[in-house]
Amino acid sequence: MLKINKLNSGYGKLQVLYDLSIEIPEKGITVVVGPNGAGKTTLLCSIMGIADVSSGEVEFQGNSIRALPSYLLARQGISYVPQMGNVFAELSVRDNLQMAGYLLPTAKAKKKAEQMTVMFPVLKKFIDRKAATLSGGERRMLAVAMGLMKDPKLMLLDELSTDLAPIIAEKVISEVARLRDELGITILLVEQMAKRALEIGDTAYLLVSGGVRFAGKARELLNEPELCNMYLGIKQPAAQNIPSIEGSR
Amino acid sequence: MKSQSTQRNLKSLLLNSEILAVVAILMALTFFLTTRGLPMVLTILVDFAVFAIITMSLNLETGFTGIPQFGRVLAVIAGAFAVGAIPGRLLAALMGLPAGLNYTIDTVQFQVSPELTAALSGSWMLSLLFLFICLVIAALSGAGIGWLTSRPAIRLREAYLGISLLAFGDFLMWVGHNWVPLVGGSTSVFVPDPFRIFGGARFEAVVIAIFLAALLVYAYLNRLTVSPFGRALKMVRDNEVSASAAGKDIVKIRTQSLVIGSMLAAIAGGLYVIYTGTVTAMGYSRLVWTFWPWAFMMLGGIGSTAGMLLGVMVLTIMRTLITVYRFEVFGFLMAWGINPLWLEFTLMGAVIIGVILFLPHGLVPEKVQSILPASRVNSILSKGFGAKLQ
Amino acid sequence: MAPWLATGLIYASALALAAGGITLLYMSTRTFNFAHASMATIGFYVIYTGSVLGGGTPYRYFPLAFLIGGLLGVICYYGLNRPLLKRRAVEITLMMSTLGYDLILLSVIQMYCDYLTFSRRLFPRRVSMSIYDFELLGVSAATIILPLVAIVFLTALHLFLVKTRFGVAMRATIENPVLAGASGINADRVYMLAWVIGGGMAALGGAAMSMAITGTPVLGMNSIPFMFAGAIFGGLHSLYGGILGGFVIGMTEYAGVFYLSQIFGPWVLGYRMGIPLLLMAATLLIFPRGLAGIPWAALVRNLFGKKGGIRV
Ligand SMILES: Nc1ncnc2c1ncn2[C@@H]1O[C@H](COP(=O)(O)OP(=O)(O)OP(=O)(O)O)[C@@H](O)[C@H]1O
Ligand SMILES: [Mg+2]
Repeated sequence: MLKINKLNSGYGKLQVLYDLSIEIPEKGITVVVGPNGAGKTTLLCSIMGIADVSSGEVEFQGNSIRALPSYLLARQGISYVPQMGNVFAELSVRDNLQMAGYLLPTAKAKKKAEQMTVMFPVLKKFIDRKAATLSGGERRMLAVAMGLMKDPKLMLLDELSTDLAPIIAEKVISEVARLRDELGITILLVEQMAKRALEIGDTAYLLVSGGVRFAGKARELLNEPELCNMYLGIKQPAAQNIPSIEGSR
Repeated sequence: MKSQSTQRNLKSLLLNSEILAVVAILMALTFFLTTRGLPMVLTILVDFAVFAIITMSLNLETGFTGIPQFGRVLAVIAGAFAVGAIPGRLLAALMGLPAGLNYTIDTVQFQVSPELTAALSGSWMLSLLFLFICLVIAALSGAGIGWLTSRPAIRLREAYLGISLLAFGDFLMWVGHNWVPLVGGSTSVFVPDPFRIFGGARFEAVVIAIFLAALLVYAYLNRLTVSPFGRALKMVRDNEVSASAAGKDIVKIRTQSLVIGSMLAAIAGGLYVIYTGTVTAMGYSRLVWTFWPWAFMMLGGIGSTAGMLLGVMVLTIMRTLITVYRFEVFGFLMAWGINPLWLEFTLMGAVIIGVILFLPHGLVPEKVQSILPASRVNSILSKGFGAKLQ
Repeated sequence: MAPWLATGLIYASALALAAGGITLLYMSTRTFNFAHASMATIGFYVIYTGSVLGGGTPYRYFPLAFLIGGLLGVICYYGLNRPLLKRRAVEITLMMSTLGYDLILLSVIQMYCDYLTFSRRLFPRRVSMSIYDFELLGVSAATIILPLVAIVFLTALHLFLVKTRFGVAMRATIENPVLAGASGINADRVYMLAWVIGGGMAALGGAAMSMAITGTPVLGMNSIPFMFAGAIFGGLHSLYGGILGGFVIGMTEYAGVFYLSQIFGPWVLGYRMGIPLLLMAATLLIFPRGLAGIPWAALVRNLFGKKGGIRV
């Protein structure tokens, strides 16, 4: 669905990604993991036309989307939940949801917003409050809700679970899996909860210093104890863990 | 590889644009000399010299230190008003003429001012001394204004500061317009002429003097900006945090830059009123004394002192062309009763826009300077990395 | 109503509109619009030309002034501002580009005045628009109509920003252009609309101002320091702050001149522009971020709540 070929990008003179090639298959979860500063967020920014792309190709459903402004990407069905600045702090929760559904017909947007408040009751409680006054976790929930509002073909999710209490984080991650299974949405998931993400993921990329260090099946990455240990802090001997997960499926 | 060669192409193009500009300037000056005679060229030169000093001073504060100086007119006014108000009074007091608050009233002026100039034109000593005092007073009042503006400059952020300076420049002009004892209010005050002693060659002498002053300022700023102080200025401009981390006292550096810059601009203001012989408060508008220098600076290339000279010269010649040929070339406008002189505004606006859109670094782009002096860089390279590099 | 208060109200409403426009443009495009000066002057010449050549009261031509101001804004956006924003130009560059535009507009205004003088035998360089005004409820109509115009316009703007989808999208883009873009909002249209409204407000402000003070080709040029002062006084980060700032700056000048000249004598009149500027300077020195940067909530709490000093 999304194909990135030999991408070089960064911010102004600072180059972050070097000759990066990634492919995101349709109707699957592609997990991108890696240490802080590896360039995961920059990868998403490059797709969305926010970072400066100096060379390389970005193709969405066979068409080049490089250098397209982000609002056109949104109209093609790409939804992006940024890592930071992912809510409109000066707007009320209601207006935030309205803006997230900007491209939907009004009636549908209303219905979607209601679904979101069912999924995250907190949002219903604070519906008329400015997003700036929400707690970190509440804000993240709002951001996730806004990402889900959009009814996208492809979702780019940057560190959804950060700031969330473990129970909610788990809920959000399984929601991501449900999106794939039930709605057939293609998802690019950047996560710090690497182990959990890799468990639900199909394809995985390990990004280190702006390059791909590992590419393959998500569960294969969990089978690389050295990589897991060094870059992801997954300590348990992975080989023992995997069969049990396979077994549970 | 590719980007390198395009860079080189760009570089040679820019180098050419400098040379082209110099050639064009020389051609234009010769043209004026042959068609309109020497006085025309001298008028251009004196305009050039006054604005060159002001633009270079602006460049010191804005280009080198990063202060949004939208109140350049403040310092120019300080110099002009000081020279209009003080030295003449001193001389009048010495000669037992009215020198109090009434000195600037027009009836008194018409009586006193010829006597003062007559006294000056009788003695080389006195003329020189008077000129010297004028410049010192201009410099001092400029330094004062520079120090005053440096107080908010430390506290206020960019836009807030620029606009405050702009507003107070206007205010100072209105004070001069309303408070008669300063420079005569709506009527002008005369400045005793220390160049009258040259007799028939007065005009040539004053032009040469101001031109030399501009060259001196150029030489001074050129030296200043390659000195450690100059590098400190650019450090503050580029990154305040790292500059203060490197042990630079930012407040002190900004203050120094403002004081020196304002001093130079005030001297230019003082020289200008000596040249014209009068001070009229309303003549010190932000348009001419703040915005024109900004246009000159942007055309020349912010951050490059040599660029200032080019920028001022090119635009001064273009303005003169419009003035001289307003009827020949733009006479058709007269059919609607339109005075072609307004095209000067159009020109300035178009130049500012054109430079921003198509020549963002100006005629002479700033050379990227190393934080360390070249000798240090060379010694480090030869000792430390030399082997690896070769 | 005291004459100073009547004129002051008109003038302050005009400044509120103009300063609001400056703030809106700054918030959305990071651009300090110097061209506000000439846009305001053009607003004045629209109602002047209309009143003289078209007849009727000046108020009939206010909508036209707004439209022409908006058009000038759109030209500035597409010709200058947009290419520079794409290039991520710094604030000073954005600001200087509008100065260039302002100078060109100024030359057009001057030429237009020449033209009116020459071919229409008018005297457009010193105009007192109040002679085209009429009386309403015992005062000049402008005293009532113009503050009303300002209030109605600003209320409409407020409702647009709060109640309509595109208005909310505008606020969203101003706050977080990246997220707004990712939500499918075209920032380009938002910025264009900001220039329409901003330019229109400049022209409205200039037109209103000419009902209070003498209209000249440099009406805007002379009053732009106060428009900026109002915007800065308001803090530049809130539209409402800018509007309030403009109003306060305008009112202070008139009230200040009136009371100070009663105390010190009429010579104060010559230095009137110093009064709002000193107010601005004093505010900025205590609160470097203007009215909007003042912790109002804390102030009120401390003043009316528990004992204790005001913390800033
Ligand atoms: N807007 C920016 N301007 C300049 N440099 C940036 C910017 N954003 C990120 N960087 C730099 O780019 C590099 C990659 O950052 P990026 O945000 O892509 O990392 P990441 O993999 O998302 O890290 P994390 O897990 O901490 O979110 C970092 O060194 C960072 O400092
Ligand atoms: Mg990140």
